[in-house]
Amino acid sequence: MHEIAIAESIVQIAEEKARSQNARSVRVVKLRLGTFTTIVAEALQFAFEIAQQGTSCSEAQLEIEIVPMIVRCVVCEESSEPVRGICLICGQCGFPLQIVSGEELQIDYIEVD
Amino acid sequence: MEPVIERISVKTNVLNANQQTALANRELFHKEGLLVMNLMSAPGAGKTTLLEATICALQGKLRVAVIEGDLQTDLDAQRIEALGVRAFQITTGTVCHLDARMISRALESFPISDLDLLVIENVGNLICPSSFDLGESLRVVVCSVAEGPEKPKKYPVMFNKADLVLINKVDLAEPSGADLQELMNNVAEVSPNATILALSARTGEGMPPWINWLQYAVDSHASSSRMLNVSL
Repeated sequence: MHEIAIAESIVQIAEEKARSQNARSVRVVKLRLGTFTTIVAEALQFAFEIAQQGTSCSEAQLEIEIVPMIVRCVVCEESSEPVRGICLICGQCGFPLQIVSGEELQIDYIEVD
Repeated sequence: MEPVIERISVKTNVLNANQQTALANRELFHKEGLLVMNLMSAPGAGKTTLLEATICALQGKLRVAVIEGDLQTDLDAQRIEALGVRAFQITTGTVCHLDARMISRALESFPISDLDLLVIENVGNLICPSSFDLGESLRVVVCSVAEGPEKPKKYPVMFNKADLVLINKVDLAEPSGADLQELMNNVAEVSPNATILALSARTGEGMPPWINWLQYAVDSHASSSRMLNVSL
């Protein structure tokens, strides 16, 4: 259940940012979460509800934008979204695929008052 | 009156604090000229048995120490210390992974200046440890054949981040009916850049290529650290 540790980090970063802007409280935390991470959105929402208590984020909504995994072949430059099972070898030319997106775990912005 | 809502751009990685500590750990390891390996697997894949066999094979060749991560007990550290190798046990309580700060704290009371290789045996878990950089230079994932050939497909993030995947317990491939080739193919599909070696830490089969690989990694790391330290 590492979502607890992740949620605590999210609250900490949001609080620091809000404090540096002299904001009263955080209303929204917008997170970009890739599908090629080990974080489950539902579990993170649940963990966030625990981590936000007693902080300036206690009233905040965690909005999660799911970023799909996109891979690209460096040789034939074909991009695709793996749908059923991850295979990081190009089906066309057999070279390793690069991960273009899907590893995101980033706080995009916060909304404060 | 409605409060005024203001949007503030953040653009910060959630794991930023861990990454900063990992960076500091990595700099320290480079300064000391030692190679640090983060050893990860599911529970029961044979990490500690592999370490025991590896330590025995490296005796007189490399100076090794081990940091053990477990939820409870110091049984693994005891097994390592029984071989005359320094070991430090981190018990995480309920935390399912090691993080960079736990390593940094362990180093306050665990000397590393006389070492060539520091192995960090992570908590047995194929999910959480993959997200937390400890400052290591090498990520090694151990997978035992009896776990089933589909393991890499089920836990692709962990395998994708590995520099080396060790398939352990090859002596059990036949009795357990596991398809070793299918397992190796699946590792290559999720981690095309990783080196794959198959061995049995218990019987010793396949150990020499692993030991050579490790020796080479330590030697090349030491010479690159020396160059880095001179240029600093």
